[in-house]
Amino acid sequence: MEEVSCQAPLMEGIGLCKRFGRVVALEDVDVTIHSGEVIGLLGDNGAGKSTLIKILTGVYRPDGGELRFEGTRVDFASPKDARRLGIETVYQDLALIENMSIARNFFLGAEPSRRIGGLNLLDMAAMRRVTEEALRDIGIAVRCATDDVCVLSGGERQAIAIGRTMYFGGKLLILDEPTSALSVHETSKVLGYITEARKRGLAVIFITHNLYHVYPVADRFVVLEHGRKVADLAKDEATVDDLIRIVAYGIEGTRRQ
Amino acid sequence: MQVITNSRRRGATPAPGWSERVAMRQMRPLLSRREVGVAVALVLVFIVFFSMKREFLGAGTLGDIVTVAAELGVVAIGASFLMIAGEMDLAVGSNFALSGMVLAMLITKSGWNPWLALLVALACGAGIGAVNGLVTLYARIPSFITTLGAMMFWRGIALYLSQGWPISIFDDVPLLRWLGGARVLSTAHISAVWWLVIGLIFCLVLEKTAYGNWVFATGGKRVAARALGVPDTKVKMTNFIITGALAALSGCLQLGRMGSMSPVWGQELSLEAIAAAVVGGNSLTGGIGTIFGAMLGAVTMASIRIGLVMVGAPSYWYMSFVGFIVVAAVALNVKLGEVISWRK
Repeated sequence: MEEVSCQAPLMEGIGLCKRFGRVVALEDVDVTIHSGEVIGLLGDNGAGKSTLIKILTGVYRPDGGELRFEGTRVDFASPKDARRLGIETVYQDLALIENMSIARNFFLGAEPSRRIGGLNLLDMAAMRRVTEEALRDIGIAVRCATDDVCVLSGGERQAIAIGRTMYFGGKLLILDEPTSALSVHETSKVLGYITEARKRGLAVIFITHNLYHVYPVADRFVVLEHGRKVADLAKDEATVDDLIRIVAYGIEGTRRQ
Repeated sequence: MQVITNSRRRGATPAPGWSERVAMRQMRPLLSRREVGVAVALVLVFIVFFSMKREFLGAGTLGDIVTVAAELGVVAIGASFLMIAGEMDLAVGSNFALSGMVLAMLITKSGWNPWLALLVALACGAGIGAVNGLVTLYARIPSFITTLGAMMFWRGIALYLSQGWPISIFDDVPLLRWLGGARVLSTAHISAVWWLVIGLIFCLVLEKTAYGNWVFATGGKRVAARALGVPDTKVKMTNFIITGALAALSGCLQLGRMGSMSPVWGQELSLEAIAAAVVGGNSLTGGIGTIFGAMLGAVTMASIRIGLVMVGAPSYWYMSFVGFIVVAAVALNVKLGEVISWRK
C-alpha cells in the first residue's frame, strides 16, 4: 500500500476505441485504475463494459488509444500477455471446472511438480496443502481441497477463484458479475473477499448491474453508455440513487431532473 | 475409540446412527469412484458364467479373456484418453485395420525390416489421428462427424490396398512374436503385457502429471481451461494423435497374434472401445473418467465374448449382452452418484 499509492496508476487506458464492422462498441474511453482501489464498472447491457474489459485483459486489441501498465505502454497480443503482468479475470460461470478437485483447479495451468525417477509428477500433497493454506489465509474455509468443485456453492466458487488470483500474485482483479447468482448471505461473503483483496493492495474492477452490491465496497464508479464514458465519480461524489439514475437515464436524464 | 474422541472434540453429538454415518463417510471415497459400476458388472458377468460353466475360471479361459481384453483395451485406453479431453474417435476401428494392413504389407510385399515397418504402421495410425484432430479443431466440426467420415474413408482405403483380401504372414517374424505371438503365464499372449504397461503409463499421465490436469480441464470446461492458460487445442490435438497411434498398435498386436489382418476386421471396434470407456465411468461429454475404468470395461466385454463362446451361446448374443451391460453399468453409476450426494 505505502509504496504504490503515490506512484503512477496501476493501469491506464487512454482514448480507447473499438469497432466491430460499423458498430462502435467503445469510443474514446479513458480509464485509470490505482492499486488498492475498487472500481465499480456500471452500465446497461450493450454499454461497452465487456468490450472495455476484453481490451484491458488482452482479448481484444483496441482500434485506437493506448494502454499503460505501471507507467509503461503495453500492447497485448493475447490474454496470456495480460496475465503475465498480473491482470486476472474471474468470470461468473467460467472460473472453475466443476468435475475437478479444488486443489487441481487452484493450480490449473501452474501445477507444481516433483521429479520422481526422471518423470515430472504432480506434487499432489503440496497442491492440497498450499490450496488449503492460501484459502484459509484470506478467510476462505474449505473442508478439503480434494473435494470436487461441484459440491461447492456459487459463492465458494467465486471465493476460490479470487483466492487463486491473490495467491498467484495478481495485481488487477476483474470480476464479471460476481454476485448476480448468489444468495444474500453469499453475496456479503464475496464482497468481504473483495475488500480483503483491496486491503492487500490489489486493484479490483467489479462489473455489475446491482448497485447495492457494488456501492459498499467500491471507491469509484465508472459508468458507460453506448460505448462512451458518461460518468467517473468517486464515492463521495455520488449516492446510490444518483448512480442508478445515471445508469438508467444517462447523464442527460439526470441533468433534466 | 479414536473416532469417538475425535468427533466429540469437533463438537458433534454422537446421535443414534452416528457410527453408520462414519462408516458411510469411510465408504464414500470407494463408492464415489466411477469404476464401481463396471466392477459390479464384471463380478456379475463372472458369477453368471461361472455358475453355468465351472471352467470359466480356468487358466485357459482367463488367458483368452486377457488376450481379447488387451487388443480391445489398448484401443479403449486411447478412446478414454480422448474422451476425457472432450472428443471422440469413431475411426479407431478402420485405423486398426488399415495400420495392421500397412504393417503386414510392408513386411510381406515390400520386404521391409519389420521393426521399421512397425514404426511406419504406428506413424500411419498417429497420422490418421492427426488428420481427425486437424479437421475437427480447425474446421470446427464435431469430432463425431469428422471421425464418422474418417471411419468410412479409411476403411475404403484399407479395402482398396488389399483389394478386399486378408493378408497373412507365414514366415516366422520375431517382431510378430514380440507383439502378440508369444505366450506369457502359459495361456495369455504377450499383448496383455503391453496393454498393462500402456495402461499404467496412461493412468500415471492422466492422474499424476500437469498434462493430465490439462486433459481433464480441457474436456471439463474448455473456455475456463483456456482462460487459465491451458493450451486446450494442443491438448486435444495430442490426444487425437495418441488415440490414433494406440488404435494402430492394437492392429499390430492382433496381427502379431493371428499372423494375418483383414481389411474388414475391427468394424465394431470403435463402438466397443467407446462402450468400454463409458461402462468404466468415462463421461461421453468429457472431463470425467479414468483409464483404469476403461480397462475394466474392456475386461468386462472380453469376458462376455469368451463366456458366451464357452457356454455355447450363438455369438450374436454378444452384442445384446454388451448393450445391456453398458446401460446397466452407467445407470448404476448415476444412481450411486445420487445416493452419495444425498448423504453428504
